[in-house]
Amino acid sequence: MSSLDVAFATVTFKRKIAYKTTWIFSVLFGGWSLLAGLAVWSHIIGDGEIGGYDWPAMRAYLIIGFLTATLAWSGSDWEMANRILDGHVAIDLTKPVDFQRARAAEYIGGMTASVPAAVLGTAAACLIFRPAPPASVLAAALTIVSVLFIFPLAFGISYLATLTCFVTQRFLGIQWAKDSLVAFFSGMMVPLALMPVWLQGISWALPFVHFTTTPASIYLGRVDTAGALGLLAAQAAWSVGLWYMGRLIWGRLVKKVTIHGG
Amino acid sequence: MVRDKSLTARHVGGVYWRALVAQIRAITEYPADFWVMASAGAMWNVLQFAFITVLFAAVPDVAGWRYHEMLMLSGLFTVASGSTALLVDGVWSTGQMVLKGEIDYRMTRPAPVVVQVATTHIGMQGFGESGIGLLMFAYGWIGAGLSLAALPIGLLGLVCAIVIECALITVFCAVNFWIKGPMSNFAFVLVDLQSNAMVLPLGLFPIGVRIVTLFVIPVAFVNFVPVAVLTGHLSAWWLVGTPLAALAAVLAAVGVFRLGLRSYDSAGH
Repeated sequence: MSSLDVAFATVTFKRKIAYKTTWIFSVLFGGWSLLAGLAVWSHIIGDGEIGGYDWPAMRAYLIIGFLTATLAWSGSDWEMANRILDGHVAIDLTKPVDFQRARAAEYIGGMTASVPAAVLGTAAACLIFRPAPPASVLAAALTIVSVLFIFPLAFGISYLATLTCFVTQRFLGIQWAKDSLVAFFSGMMVPLALMPVWLQGISWALPFVHFTTTPASIYLGRVDTAGALGLLAAQAAWSVGLWYMGRLIWGRLVKKVTIHGG
Repeated sequence: MVRDKSLTARHVGGVYWRALVAQIRAITEYPADFWVMASAGAMWNVLQFAFITVLFAAVPDVAGWRYHEMLMLSGLFTVASGSTALLVDGVWSTGQMVLKGEIDYRMTRPAPVVVQVATTHIGMQGFGESGIGLLMFAYGWIGAGLSLAALPIGLLGLVCAIVIECALITVFCAVNFWIKGPMSNFAFVLVDLQSNAMVLPLGLFPIGVRIVTLFVIPVAFVNFVPVAVLTGHLSAWWLVGTPLAALAAVLAAVGVFRLGLRSYDSAGH
């Protein structure tokens, strides 16, 4: 990581924390989802269990989903998209800075600014809703590593989504489509364990699953240590894969840039 | 603010329609954009459909609501939500226009500012969203065994849902007149709340949530009340509240936008 990367990350971090309301909103977005999830799953599970989740385990699952969603949806998607939509990308091309790397640094800086809100929100949720504890100390440590992988994964997916702005005029619909893909295939909306086998197969073949199901499975001990390490390796592989996928698509789409009729 | 008493409903409607047609013409110039955005909108609904289907493969009902009834609930909300993208998508840019002073020249034109702002875009995802939403609603309707005799109630609920949703989004985007920022965070929170909570039966939530969604910010009248009346979960009397909520929401949108314009001081002050 060069000093330039740190500078880009720091600027975005400072810009994000300058707007205090952004903190509140980042917790509010995940908060609604958490409260709605708690309401519906407490009603469905009652004193029993579903898909191998009893009520304390489901509370832990939902709180992990809240934490990862708060982090994943706090990046600078709109800043990246607007650079393409309003033509700033043309100026970026003249700078001696790698576009993708600069956006990655900004994105991670923006996500980092949401960490205090995400941690405070999660701590409050843990105190209020008393989730199941981690399966072991090692599981807790590996869960933290898994959550950290959300930073490069979120950037990789958001970057690919914003690249569609080369062929569209608006980003709002793209963002909602991306968010819904993440929400569904990550298991935030409904745990993968409840899905039919073929849908579980599709979910595990996509990167989105590593936003909620992977950290929750490690935390709750639904996979053993070898399985947990395998999932972390898959997260690392997707982080690298998405990075190079971004490079490949950028190389093709950047040819569409026109500057004021040129 | 320039106010012209000759602004009749016909004139305002004409301006709105011409601006919308101009946007539709622009869309036809960008077919790739249209298909990407319409597919993106459809995807959200398809996944919502999948969520309900997966959920009901594991449980027979949620708070007394069965599969097809839940499809109607979710379908009606997404039709309303998709319609805002087609009818008033420009209001999402209110914050940016306020920041950049772009409201200025709209105030000098002989047409309501809110109409001009609302028609600056069409969210093409709305085509996919509304289309699949309608399919979900229709599939739920047939599966729930509702007769065609209930169709007038369904149409009333549909029209009111679209009106309420458009008006509430306008109100929440207009908050940016006072709380400056390029993003319409309040409107985002409203839609987020609706897409998370209002696609579920209201009976799951505490009494406070029910009161707020019925009588303070009437999002329950967008989808919950009409579908609950149609499926017999609520008495038919509740249906009276739906057009009243639509009227109240429209008055609130016009009023809040007018108040916002009064406090608007252009850019650089």
